[in-house]
Parts: sequence; structure tokens; C-alpha cells
Amino acid sequence: MSLPQSLRTSVIPEELELIACQELIEIVPFVAMDKTVFISGEFGPLKPPIKSRIPLWMALNLKAKKKCRILAPDWMNVEYLQDRLNRETTQPEFSDLPFRFAEISRILLDAAPDDIDNVDKLRSLLKDLREARQSKSREGLAKLDHSELSLPNLCSMEINEIRPVFIRSMGVMTQLVRTPAQDP
Amino acid sequence: MEDDYFSIEAILAENQKLQCTFKYDIADMGHIGGGNERDLKALSKRQIPLWLAYTIIYSDWADFTIPTPFSSKVRNALKAESRSVRLSSLVGAGGLWYGFGKTIMEMLSDDQGLELSETLTKAFVARLTEIVDQAQHFAALGAAGSSRPGGDATSAFREGLDGTERELFSLAQESTRRSKKWYEDHNKARR
Repeated sequence: MSLPQSLRTSVIPEELELIACQELIEIVPFVAMDKTVFISGEFGPLKPPIKSRIPLWMALNLKAKKKCRILAPDWMNVEYLQDRLNRETTQPEFSDLPFRFAEISRILLDAAPDDIDNVDKLRSLLKDLREARQSKSREGLAKLDHSELSLPNLCSMEINEIRPVFIRSMGVMTQLVRTPAQDP
Repeated sequence: MEDDYFSIEAILAENQKLQCTFKYDIADMGHIGGGNERDLKALSKRQIPLWLAYTIIYSDWADFTIPTPFSSKVRNALKAESRSVRLSSLVGAGGLWYGFGKTIMEMLSDDQGLELSETLTKAFVARLTEIVDQAQHFAALGAAGSSRPGGDATSAFREGLDGTERELFSLAQESTRRSKKWYEDHNKARR
């Protein structure tokens, strides 16, 4: 193990962000481009003004050069998130959101705020969602036992945040539980 | 905590003594546990280091009494309010209360063992939330050393953490700090 200690326990948020960049997103290109072939698949051709689905990292690159307009994913609008937030605060379980919503929403809000409506409202909604969900995963901690834990709809960033503690404490509990009839 | 031969933690957890009562006279073994006599007499009581106690107890040369960190007094205190018990002062600085408890548990008969296991598990779960809460709080404060909030109760709780809990505390603090940094590093120019 030549990794530094801090990287051994779990994936870091920046790495998750990189992984999230593989997800597909719709753009409206401003430039024409032939079909491009990558290991992950073929994308394009880009023909303005026809919409096209390309990986997020490519969209960000084009966006930085002002060669496209990114269309926000269908879950990234005020009504949808407000609805999820309402469910989040009224129901005991986690509401279903895309697995990588935290990463994607942050990337888009940072890189393409001019393509998205109600940026400030979205930011505050996302923050509220995060806090509501955090308090739920905290409750999950109290219900921890040694063999299993079921927290459906938890998203990748949240899983990553609680991973080191949950793994370690479940490990400790496995040690503390006495398995009957283990006599030599 | 682990059974692994090479686990430093397991070795440290055995850095405790057990009160043993010998059942037989054992010749030429009076030096065990710091005695002066030549022979060990039956019914004599000695503080035996845990690593040695295994052999003695499994070979049925002695009985042991449940050590004070797991006495009924401590168990009752844990039952009443597990957060107010200072585990670290029970097993000494950097001691591993849970590791010690696990070792004792394995030497006990099934009934007592299960009871101890339940005590350990309940105490662990009850204290875990508070540990993570405080870890997150400290991660949010940023660099360590800023004002110590929370008053006496919380700082006493922190000092009372045993070795295993301290490890969890720092794990929680580190991951919270990392996520928080990512969430807050907004307006930096992207690529």
C-alpha cells in the first residue's frame, strides 16, 4: 500500500466528481463536429442546433470554450427538488434522487450557471436537501447493528461520507457480538 | 479488537490484569504475579496479566473474578446513561475497553458471556451517535485549537472515550472535513 493514509479509508469527493463526469448530459452545440469514438462509446456527430447527448466532461470542455449550451437534467429544476425536499422532511425514508445528484448539480452550478434557471433557489434547495438527508443518516447510526444496514436511496456522496465510520463501527460490533457455541 | 496475531491493537488490549484465584498448590511458581513465596498456595489471589491468564484459566488451574471495568457498578452506570461513563479512566489512558471486554467475554460461560456482549454492544451503539456528532462538530469548526465549545459535559465525554472510540472519532472527523471542503469549495474557477 503506497497510498497515503488519508486516501486509504475511502474514495475522496474529487474522485467521485471525476466519476460523475462520465454520466451523459444533453447539450445544444454551437459548433459542428464529426462523430467521435471513445472507449466508452461513440458520441456525436454534433450538428447545431440539434440536441445531443454527450458525457459530462466533454460538455464541460465545450462549455468552457463557449461552444455549447448545457441543458439541465430533468431533475434539476426548482419544482422537482422542492417536491423532493417536501418528501424528505415529511417522510422517514430517503427520497429517491439520482445516485450522483450531488456531484452533477454542483458541477453544473459551478460551470454553467448561465444555462440554468433560478440558480440561487436551486443552491439553497440542494443545501436544504443535504441537511435533511444528513440528519437521517445520523439516525441510521443509532440503528446500526453488526450484520446489515439498509439505507435505500442514499446517494454516492452521502455514502462516501459515512462509509469510514459505518464500516469501522460495524467491524467493532461484529467483534463484540458473541456467537454461541464456539467452544474449541 | 481483532484476533489477528499481528494486530497491535489486540496486543495492547491485553495490557490489563485479571484477578485469579488458584485452585491448587503449584510448586515453584510463587513468583507469578509478583509474589514472594516459593510455592503458589491454593486459594491465593494474584493479579495475572491477561496474556498469561488465558493459559491458566483454560487449563483450569484458577478461577477469575470479573475485573472492575466490567463490574456490576459500571454496568448499571452504563444502563442508566452510557454517555456519562468515562471508559478511558476504567482501563487507563489509551486503553481499549471494548477489546478488554471482548477478551473477558470469550473466557466467560455462555450466559455471562452473552450478558457482557449485550452490555458492550448497547454501550457502543448508545455512545456512537454522540461520538459522530461531536466529530462532525469539530470538523465544522475547522482547524483544531479554536474555542472549545459545548461546556463541561461534552468535553468530559470526549476525554472518556476509549481507544476504539477515539479511532472512530478521528475517522468521522476526517471524512466530514473532506466532504465539507468539497461542498464549500464553490466559486473556484472550473477547469
